[in-house]
Amino acid sequence: MSLITSLLALRRDARLLKIPPYLSALCVLVGIGWLLVLPLQEYSRGTYVSENALLPGQVHTYFTGSEHNIFRAYRHEVAELVHQPLEGRNQRLAEILRSSGLKVATQNYEYSASGRTISGQNVYGILQGPRADATEAIVLIAAWRNMDGEINHSGVALVLTLARYFKRWSLWSKDIIFLIAGDSTAGPQAWVDAYHDSHSPASIEPLSIKSGALQGAVAIDYPAGPWGHRFDKLHIVYDGINGQLPNLDLFNTAVSIASGQMGIGCTLQRMWKHDDSYQARLQTMLRGMISQGLGHASGPHSSFIPYHVDAITLQTVGDGWHDEMSLGRTVESLFRSLNNLLEHLHQSFFFYLLMQANRFVSIGTYLPSAMLIAVNFTITSIALWVQSGRAPNPPSPVSTNTKPSEAPKMIAIDRDGMVALIPEQYLTIIERKLFLPLAFVGSAHFLGLLPLYIFNNTSESSLTLTFHATTFLTLLLPQLTASALSLSPYRPSAQETILIQCLSLLLLGMFLSALATLNFSLAFLVGILATPLTFVRPTSSRPIAGLQTLLLVAVNPLVVITLATSYWAGGDVSQLRTVLVAAAEGWHVWGLWTQVVVWLVWWPAWFAESVVVAGSLFGKVVEAKSVKA
Amino acid sequence: MLSSLLAVSLCFLALSVRAGSDYHERLLLRPLPQNALLASFNFRSNETSSSFERQNFRYFPRSLGQILQHANTKELHLRFSLGRWDAESWGARPWGGAREGGTGVELWAWVDAESETDAFARWLTLTNALSGLFCASLNFIDSTKTIRPVMSFEPEGNHPNMSSPNLHLLHGTLPHEVVCTENLTPFLKLLPCKGKAGISSLLDGHKLFDASWQTMSIDVRPVCNTDGSNCVIEMEQTVDMVLDLDRSKRPRDNPIPRPLPIEEIECDTSKSYNSQDSCFPLVKTAEPSWSLSEIFGRPIKGACPITGEEGEDGETVCLNVPAERNVDIKTNGGYAEVRRDEGLLRCYKLPSGEDFDITLPEQSLPAPLLLSKPPLTAARSINGHGQERGSVQAVLNNPSDHPVSLIYLESLPWFMKPYLHTLRASIPGAPASTNPIKETYYRPAVDRHRGTHLELLLEIPAHSSLILTYDFEKAILRYTEYPPDANRGFDVAPAVIRLLPPDGNLNTPLVFLRTTSLLLPLPTPDFSMPYNVIILTSTVMALGFGNIVNLLVRGFVGADEIDGWKPGGLKGALRARFEKLKARWFGKGKKDE
Repeated sequence: MSLITSLLALRRDARLLKIPPYLSALCVLVGIGWLLVLPLQEYSRGTYVSENALLPGQVHTYFTGSEHNIFRAYRHEVAELVHQPLEGRNQRLAEILRSSGLKVATQNYEYSASGRTISGQNVYGILQGPRADATEAIVLIAAWRNMDGEINHSGVALVLTLARYFKRWSLWSKDIIFLIAGDSTAGPQAWVDAYHDSHSPASIEPLSIKSGALQGAVAIDYPAGPWGHRFDKLHIVYDGINGQLPNLDLFNTAVSIASGQMGIGCTLQRMWKHDDSYQARLQTMLRGMISQGLGHASGPHSSFIPYHVDAITLQTVGDGWHDEMSLGRTVESLFRSLNNLLEHLHQSFFFYLLMQANRFVSIGTYLPSAMLIAVNFTITSIALWVQSGRAPNPPSPVSTNTKPSEAPKMIAIDRDGMVALIPEQYLTIIERKLFLPLAFVGSAHFLGLLPLYIFNNTSESSLTLTFHATTFLTLLLPQLTASALSLSPYRPSAQETILIQCLSLLLLGMFLSALATLNFSLAFLVGILATPLTFVRPTSSRPIAGLQTLLLVAVNPLVVITLATSYWAGGDVSQLRTVLVAAAEGWHVWGLWTQVVVWLVWWPAWFAESVVVAGSLFGKVVEAKSVKA
Repeated sequence: MLSSLLAVSLCFLALSVRAGSDYHERLLLRPLPQNALLASFNFRSNETSSSFERQNFRYFPRSLGQILQHANTKELHLRFSLGRWDAESWGARPWGGAREGGTGVELWAWVDAESETDAFARWLTLTNALSGLFCASLNFIDSTKTIRPVMSFEPEGNHPNMSSPNLHLLHGTLPHEVVCTENLTPFLKLLPCKGKAGISSLLDGHKLFDASWQTMSIDVRPVCNTDGSNCVIEMEQTVDMVLDLDRSKRPRDNPIPRPLPIEEIECDTSKSYNSQDSCFPLVKTAEPSWSLSEIFGRPIKGACPITGEEGEDGETVCLNVPAERNVDIKTNGGYAEVRRDEGLLRCYKLPSGEDFDITLPEQSLPAPLLLSKPPLTAARSINGHGQERGSVQAVLNNPSDHPVSLIYLESLPWFMKPYLHTLRASIPGAPASTNPIKETYYRPAVDRHRGTHLELLLEIPAHSSLILTYDFEKAILRYTEYPPDANRGFDVAPAVIRLLPPDGNLNTPLVFLRTTSLLLPLPTPDFSMPYNVIILTSTVMALGFGNIVNLLVRGFVGADEIDGWKPGGLKGALRARFEKLKARWFGKGKKDE
């Protein structure tokens, strides 16, 4: 009883309000530290295949011998098609697929994003599995052009050869769809949308022939020209749109087959030299997180993942001694494994971070890190809420001021036979004026819709200019808003300023913790970049306010995007345009919502905090006035 | 012209036996494009209804006859199917689709009973008995999988009391049932020659189930004269399959399709890059060679001795190839060849007791065999994604020159709940005012008791497609209702489409078509979760239970409260031992008294 009473008494202690900033900082530090220990061997796990039906690498592969001659011939055929018009090219590809005994169809698609038109044609063939009843299918994809825009000569030729080779087997218990997509991102997206009948019929043709539910998809990216190129490693790309990932079992099967059965080394996240050190693992993980956080399409497989179709891309890299037949046998073995599946891939993890080809951490281990970052905003928000309810100038119980000031009003409280005198201010909760903060934070979030709309609908040529203009405006806007507010009749009081910050941080914490369960990396990255927002406060000192403003300028979302782009592009500012075009394409084609997070979660929070800080630049007069009053 | 001749040959096969002998069998072989071969086996046995009543079975299998009598079944149709018929390449279906079922097992029967409840009880008897007979999971056809079709099926036999309300039609499907060798063996046992002689000696599980498409059917129906006299119970068994010649010709001890040596591949030498390491494979245009013993693994072991001898009854094996095709017969016995339909159909009378083999060499033909066009093609798929809703889209395409009326029957499981108000039938290009749905029969599902039954009478104009769509909601099952492979999804039975004769002529043979089955993914719980919960709860329970039991059954006393207890020491230990011994001896003595 006495414990509770003393705790309740502590509730009123002014020192309590000093704790939250430190607690927030602790959360951030622990969150970052948590992430940094993950690459240690003790905190990550070795990968393993959960689904027993997959049996990776348990079959002999027979894709050799005369198939190699046929492959070379097909590669020459593909090389001859390079300069042909689209229709003629796809007719020839369809002819080759049809001669292997497949059902072939084509699909036209056309998207328009940022003023340009992305159009093309997919050609695909369905191998009706002899043991299949059209209920399930697996997909083998080769995009005509890979993500770097190179023509996927050997990849397409390999798909054609494998189609001919697979047709001879009688053991397929699922249909196999061979898809030669027009490009690496829009083509597969159009195809998979139409397959699930969720395409816009105006610009995308429906599929004339279909098979059953898709169980998995593997894309081949092997751009070696007509004279071939021996590769060193397989780069397995697994990121999906919006940071969704394929089931870890698919990735593990591919790694296990490639490295265990075929002796091909596997690498991921462009870590060409992975020496199994802590740094290398950390770097792989961070690259994976950035890729996941951006949520962009990283290969032809990416479009499949939002439809709960597990998919990966096998990309050949380096100079080595593995040839197209090794890759073909890898794909053969992988398809034999997928063919074994009795159920949809579900056993293994869908949320993971990979450190190298055979080490990972699962969501249970890594999630606390992003959650702690998100919690830091909530803690500060609660502290600000409490603070906003306090009297603006709390009396100090032990005053060194000997000047007889107006004595604080005291209240005598009689409890348990004892009487205590308590300043009245301790017991009164002043009314919170919520209208202005709510309206402000709400409109800040709605304001984000404006740039969201502009960037998704501006033509490519003026995109960079618009971006720079928006950056400039955004940096200026808080000062303008603050000065406008300070001059307007709705000048925010100190309490309202606190409440603006409180509500905006509350929303940020809430959004980020929800986002962490969907796209961990995006939540973590935005959380880290928004951390300064926790620690800025309205202040009466102009130099501090100026420093805070500078800090906020540095973490402005647009400034961060510009800086990050120029860092990764090696100072090449023109890459900004590529990023913006890709983002707009993502919005219109892939259904990307990273920009929603940027414009409707991150930017409004930044804007609200900046206005709060800018308010103290302009608001000194206001405070002085209130003191006088 | 040729196509109409083909149609004639099918009718000839279908109707030839009406007045024939009591047992009849026929095999039709027809090479199809893309190295495929249609092998259509047909066996018929008759029993007069009077001897059937008296259980005097000759050619009719006793096992099946007794089941039918016990379950009061007047007409029975049972289908086992696997794979898909590729109408685009293979043309119209054999028997007009009337002898095939949807993927898995399909059963429908007319049961004689006083009331619907009785009929259903007898239907359960029937399915359970057939389940045992055919080693299939037919006993899983319960009330949720049984429907009573209204328009789609009509009895094939002549029932004297057809108009009486006592004849109930029940229909059930098992789309997930995998048809395999254990279903073929009992099927062959029903035949009089039991796979030992005649065309049934070709039926081998390895070859049958390696086919691209195969269906086994059993039809039992009463056939009477027009005046209702001289009724016979006719049982027809058919096995239709489309074999892939390349796959079937592989020897059984080496079934792996290893890449051929490069010398055996015909390369396109006109290609500029053609060299010893690059070879563009040419597509063979010549008809491939094959023989019965190659593709079935053995030749026909002579004629089944009880088949009829005379005329068409004796012509057991028929080959549907162009007249120019060379055919070699290998047998030591005497056989006879008859050519019909302008040489398109060659029929053979089998030798008795001697092996019979047909060999066709590789040959380039001036014109391929013309196949009759399918009257209608159908494709059905599930659209949309997610755990909650979906939609079904069926595309029915009428390639013919005249409008087609058809009945579309859907039997959906109860956990797939269609919204009937979203049912749309649209014909692209047709005026919006036309409604292709002429009649609707709908019986909604009742959770866990019966499935949805939807029958539509549709009309499709010539050269147009009809797109039928409806939305549905996925139910959430109780966790014990999931099958062991819950994450695979649930199979939805194929839709049955019956084409109505264009002029209302009732004597034209029935034409059926079935779509493929669908895989419906339902929201599936993480099944390891209940076990985690059970383990955790058990631990907590065990801790609590153990403590409470300890408190209840044990008396706790202070150490110093015990009489004569002295702490520690040798003396104490000895004394305790002594006390113990004393208690044992004296205790026993007391009990003896």
